[in-house]
Amino acid sequence: MTTKTATHCPYCALQCAMTLTGDAGSVTVAGRAFPTNRGGLCKKGWTSAELLSSPERILEPMLRQPDGSFAPATWDEALDLVAARLADGRAGHGADSVGVFGGGGLTNEKAYQLGKFARLALGTSRIDYNGRFCMSSAAAAGNRAFGLDRGLPFPVEDLDAASTILILGSNVAQTMPPFIGHLEGARAAGGLIVVDPRRTATARLTENGAGSHVQPTPGTDLVLLLGLINIVIAENLIDLDFIDRRTVGFDELRRSVGQWWPERVQAQTGVPARQLRDLARRLAAGGGTYILTGRGVEQHVDGTDTATAAINLSLILGLVGTSHSGYGTLTGQGNGQGGREHGQKCDQLPGYRKITDPAARAHVAGVWGVHPDSIPGAGIPAVELLASMGEHGGIRTLLVHGANVVVSAPNAERVRAGLAALDFLVVCDFFFSETAVLADVVLPVTQWAEEDGTMTSLEGRVIRRRTAVAAPAGVRSELWIFRELARRLRAPSTFRTDPAEVFDELCRASAGGPADYSGLSYGLLDAGEAAYWPYPAGSTGTPRLFQERFWHADGRARIHLVRAGATDAPAQAGGILTLITGRLLEHYQSGAQTRRVPELAQARPEARLQLHPATAAQLGVADGGWVDVTNSRGVVRCRAEVTGDIRHDTVFLPFHFPGEQSANRLTADTTDPVSGMPEFKRTTVRVRALADEERGTRG
Amino acid sequence: MAEPAPERIVLVGYGPVGARFVEELLPVVRAGLATLTVVGAEAADAYNRVLIADYAVGQAGREALEVTDTAAALAAGVSIRTGTSVTAISRTRRTVTLGTGAELPWDRLVLATGARANVPTLDGVTRLRRTLMAPPADAATLDSAGAALPRGVVALRDLDDAHTVLGAVSTGGRIVVLGAGVLGMELALAAAKGGAEVCVVYHGEIPMNRNLDRGGGTVLARAARAAGVSMVNHSRAESVLFHVDDDGAARFDALICADGKQIGGDLLVLSCGTGARTELAHLAGLPVSTGILVDESLRSWADPAIHAIGDCAHVAVPPAPGASLARPAGGPAGLIGPGWRQADRLAADFTARLTGQAPGTASDNTPAELGAGARPGGRAGQAAAVVMLKAEGVDVVAAGDTAPDPWDSEPSHTGGCAAAPVSVSQWADPEHGRYVKMVTRDGILTGFVCVGMPRTAAELILLFERGSELPADRSVLLRFDGPDDVPGAGGDAFAPDATVCWCNRVSVGAIKDAAAAGNSTVACIGAATRAGTGCGGCKTRIGEVLTRFAVPATS
Repeated sequence: MTTKTATHCPYCALQCAMTLTGDAGSVTVAGRAFPTNRGGLCKKGWTSAELLSSPERILEPMLRQPDGSFAPATWDEALDLVAARLADGRAGHGADSVGVFGGGGLTNEKAYQLGKFARLALGTSRIDYNGRFCMSSAAAAGNRAFGLDRGLPFPVEDLDAASTILILGSNVAQTMPPFIGHLEGARAAGGLIVVDPRRTATARLTENGAGSHVQPTPGTDLVLLLGLINIVIAENLIDLDFIDRRTVGFDELRRSVGQWWPERVQAQTGVPARQLRDLARRLAAGGGTYILTGRGVEQHVDGTDTATAAINLSLILGLVGTSHSGYGTLTGQGNGQGGREHGQKCDQLPGYRKITDPAARAHVAGVWGVHPDSIPGAGIPAVELLASMGEHGGIRTLLVHGANVVVSAPNAERVRAGLAALDFLVVCDFFFSETAVLADVVLPVTQWAEEDGTMTSLEGRVIRRRTAVAAPAGVRSELWIFRELARRLRAPSTFRTDPAEVFDELCRASAGGPADYSGLSYGLLDAGEAAYWPYPAGSTGTPRLFQERFWHADGRARIHLVRAGATDAPAQAGGILTLITGRLLEHYQSGAQTRRVPELAQARPEARLQLHPATAAQLGVADGGWVDVTNSRGVVRCRAEVTGDIRHDTVFLPFHFPGEQSANRLTADTTDPVSGMPEFKRTTVRVRALADEERGTRG
Repeated sequence: MAEPAPERIVLVGYGPVGARFVEELLPVVRAGLATLTVVGAEAADAYNRVLIADYAVGQAGREALEVTDTAAALAAGVSIRTGTSVTAISRTRRTVTLGTGAELPWDRLVLATGARANVPTLDGVTRLRRTLMAPPADAATLDSAGAALPRGVVALRDLDDAHTVLGAVSTGGRIVVLGAGVLGMELALAAAKGGAEVCVVYHGEIPMNRNLDRGGGTVLARAARAAGVSMVNHSRAESVLFHVDDDGAARFDALICADGKQIGGDLLVLSCGTGARTELAHLAGLPVSTGILVDESLRSWADPAIHAIGDCAHVAVPPAPGASLARPAGGPAGLIGPGWRQADRLAADFTARLTGQAPGTASDNTPAELGAGARPGGRAGQAAAVVMLKAEGVDVVAAGDTAPDPWDSEPSHTGGCAAAPVSVSQWADPEHGRYVKMVTRDGILTGFVCVGMPRTAAELILLFERGSELPADRSVLLRFDGPDDVPGAGGDAFAPDATVCWCNRVSVGAIKDAAAAGNSTVACIGAATRAGTGCGGCKTRIGEVLTRFAVPATS
């Protein structure tokens, strides 16, 4: 008997709609009509079902043995052991010696329950998640400017009618390919502008009159944006009426950007003054203009300020809160939006509430049936949390859910050493990821097609994930695991296992918060409601935010002043270059899933270092030849891809690969002071061609 | 123990560099660690002099010139006295005397007095010798005391000058610019764009001859002519003719050159360079060369409590005792970038000293961590500055020593000279207004000129400022400005490895193979290869590929 289930893709935040057809245990994927993907899927989506029956799937709890190997165990054995070690850790070293690391791929229900589990069952403040490496800078900037952070404060289809779309540091053609259909209108109008140090697939969409590609040197995006603001003000392209009615802080902004005239910006960014002027004028030309930021400009130590500058530019052009124009950030992970709203962030309670706000604590404590004082205070952000492993007073026991930190966190070798120094590591995963193989206990969990839940997509729309096939017998949902552990730990409150019930509780907990879901239910979502939050009880949701007012008390947006710090790019000679990291079409995040899909792994089996032909010639690197990429933190050894698509002073590595090809062995764990975002996109490295005899084991 | 009294800091000069210093120092003022008094001669708040030409031709509004938030400084407790001159510095009593006769005590004195426009020797225009002359008590006549320029003659330096020029531009008048330095050229090009009839008179062969070589200057002159500016070279101006208007006032009528040329106009703009305002320092006995001599920490050679920054400062290493007292090399850059860096540096030093903290440590991303040595020459500080002509449509950038020629004979390596020889690469295409010269030592730029090639110029600036190595194939840099700078785009769209469907990365070859296997429609190709099953944007292209390969190839 065949069954058809309407759900969404397991991967990125576009959450393309798909239909899963189950037939005698096998599952096939087809695209399904939906406004974001219009029935299309990318290569990752088409092949997503292959993981359900992967031979590498973990099918029962695995315990590390004294000899270092793993042996299967029953769930009772595994959970008893985990609960005992969690209790021991807390008793011996305090509740904050136990850490929880979540993920932006978890459903809203799991993310919510994980935050509740950490605070109530573990009593720890030490919870954070991999969204810190993803959306934190844009989120901080959005909250600062608008009083609210929803990635796209408008439906994706609004982009279709725009005549100008500026994309800063996002390679959507590879990270969420069906999205590029929404760029067609701007391309037809010659108004797609892509800012990227690489001529990516997305940058190529600007060719043949469809727009322009701006190719700054890495780490200069903030100066570039200050320069655009300068031109927009100097040429009086601003929307003074909008500025007067809806913002505060313009005069300070005007004075602060006076120093960034085009020629000075050219000198720092490598972008010609003429191109800057053309770009500024195009943005102000009307006909619908959107400014979108991505990780390329946000994953920096000044990422929050860079996103803020993009917002400031949008505000003074009068783009935000209109029906035809806007600013947005392109969320990365599948539930990167919902994942940052419901309490797995260290400073946050459900509904995007602040954990330090007494009213928020009282409300959530009421829903949970506990005393507000029993909820711990704010914890520490991801990079700091990971760095505290093995340090005095730091994390000694860690739970990891939906993350592969050994590959995805910056300064990855330090993270690996930190994990090794733990007393106890528990990882929930489908596979032996690079992090799971270091665990003491690995708990096998359900995949997307085996569970119900909700995800909140990049446009702030809450959508349903539905069960298409039964999970293998030995696999459990995290919701069940949380309940079992909470029971063993004698935690207060109730830990439900039915996703619909957890969602109802989440909705109540979010009521009155910025991300208010209180008007939502599975019933409503299953009836096909296009539900954009805030969706308070009694409302019909909010497809377009900020039409009337911003979320600050006075209803106005804040133009927050940002300044560019000194650039200290080193001399690029003798193989010293700037490394940027990013993504490939075929892989998702740490690759723990996509590297196990044969078709994807075959197409992109390994990391390749992209470098410019002139640079390659200088260093004696041949296309396909082996290189060492080194700095004080580590070494990456991989093959080279010589391409004119990258600046001559920049090299690129995808970060999806482990071991000696792991780009994050090189990135630094320095972070943005506001958001805690690490510096992923401006790493100084030395590149060296390897002689044949040096190729080592991989020859 | 009593709290130490806050340090009294006095800043003389409230231009863009002084204002930057104030901004950077606000935290220690707010913290009560220092008091700051600013004395500025101009009545207006600090404004961005870099944009004065834009303002003078109506391209920038007055607001666009604002660079600082004076209200914020006042709120922080800074005392700002605009429209006030300083007439003397007493180093023994640690005071400055104001034009009003009042005295201000200081523990630290910072001079940011800037530069004034040079007035050339012209019959008809009074010229002053200032070296031994005290500044006037009346701040309004700081630079003109006793010798105001005649009507119709202006040196573009302050807002009043700009207003005069704006009058001429807005009435479409004829403007004669004397001097073809970067400021003169900027004004000329902007005024021509603004509707004025403009003529630039200069006595060298090429414009911007301090910055450009002959090739670059020649291409610039052509570009300026194409932009409607008359360029009159080899002309030494000698005197100025006046006519008397109906109102009885004598006004500029024409400039007369040594060869007898007479160039008439409504306004003469003198753009003959600037000179540092050093009189105060000179009278106080501080060493002065082309500017107030300060060491690399921006302290006066003679008095560690006195500092100078910006256009009035000449940064040079003080001679060791007994060493040659020859005039030190270098001089004020006359550019805002180095001035701002000096303001930042000095404020950071003050802050570190007052708060007892070490100045900011070097970032993690330094070559040192890679085992590489420090950057040669310490470029960030006071390397030869990059000169960029601010003019829309005429792209000129130059830096460093641009004189060497590709065919210069190689320097001999005898006599213990260890320096590598200088190499020169050049591209000249005057017909299309393009010219590039790259002067390198060991592959690293020591100077360059770039005209008419904006992308190349932008890259050369980065390479020069960072001290980065150029590609061995220098033509890579030239191609940035080529119409073909789209790697692969000029290639065969039907090559087997050309991508058709980005969402699913399906190549022409894969579609061709699927077609050969009997898939004859776009939908069939989609089912077989997934091409077109993502965003759907490539379906037309798939159709083209099918059409192309449906018939047997003619080859």
